[in-house]
Amino acid sequence: MTARPEQNAPMSHSIRVRCGCGWEATGTKDEVVSATAEHGERVHNMRASRDEILAMAIEADAPGDVEPRA
Amino acid sequence: MADELEGIHVAGPVRAEIFLVWLDADRIALTGPDGARPWLVQLDDLEHPVETVARIVRGVVGEPLLVHSTSWRRDGAAVLLSFLVVIAPDQVGEMDSAPIRRAQLARSEVARAPAAIGGSQVLEHALRHLAWLAEDDPVVAARLGPKWRAALAGYVPEPFRSFA
Repeated sequence: MTARPEQNAPMSHSIRVRCGCGWEATGTKDEVVSATAEHGERVHNMRASRDEILAMAIEADAPGDVEPRA
Repeated sequence: MADELEGIHVAGPVRAEIFLVWLDADRIALTGPDGARPWLVQLDDLEHPVETVARIVRGVVGEPLLVHSTSWRRDGAAVLLSFLVVIAPDQVGEMDSAPIRRAQLARSEVARAPAAIGGSQVLEHALRHLAWLAEDDPVVAARLGPKWRAALAGYVPEPFRSFA
């Protein structure tokens, strides 16, 4: 896992989080954290903090909006 | 590292594995929020596992027709509880789905669990159990109806296999 401290990331930095079920979200940190927290709680009964979610994030290949699959 | 791409995983000492099934015409099919695969849910000690599964399914796809706990097994350091959840065809929506294929059961020894248990074997066991309940339990029979009972007819009820 790679944790990326927020202070080192530019405002437009796009990240991605992928769930073990195949769902993924790409976007800004705020977008990805919000989408991932919602997905985790709604679909998997999981609760994760912002730091925990960001610790799971990787850099996105290209900037984009949040695109949850489920 | 390749592991970084694996992303988040359901964790915890006790987890639920949901097999979300429906009747596609006269064939039983597997579906789920991310397609025809087991749906993993984290359990905790504050809520009964059946209630957790029903609540999560209700929130994602709507009220289930039936929630049935079928088996359990070890999964690494965790205990994995398997649930068969039956939904109506109109609840499948855009979720990917696939017909369920028959599988050989994973047989345990007298006092030892099977060496390996696959998802298809868990599902086979669950459907055999449901086939038995559909004939033995009037509540389940009424809930599923004649179409489901017909679709389950090919699954030899597990409690009676030893006598076959």
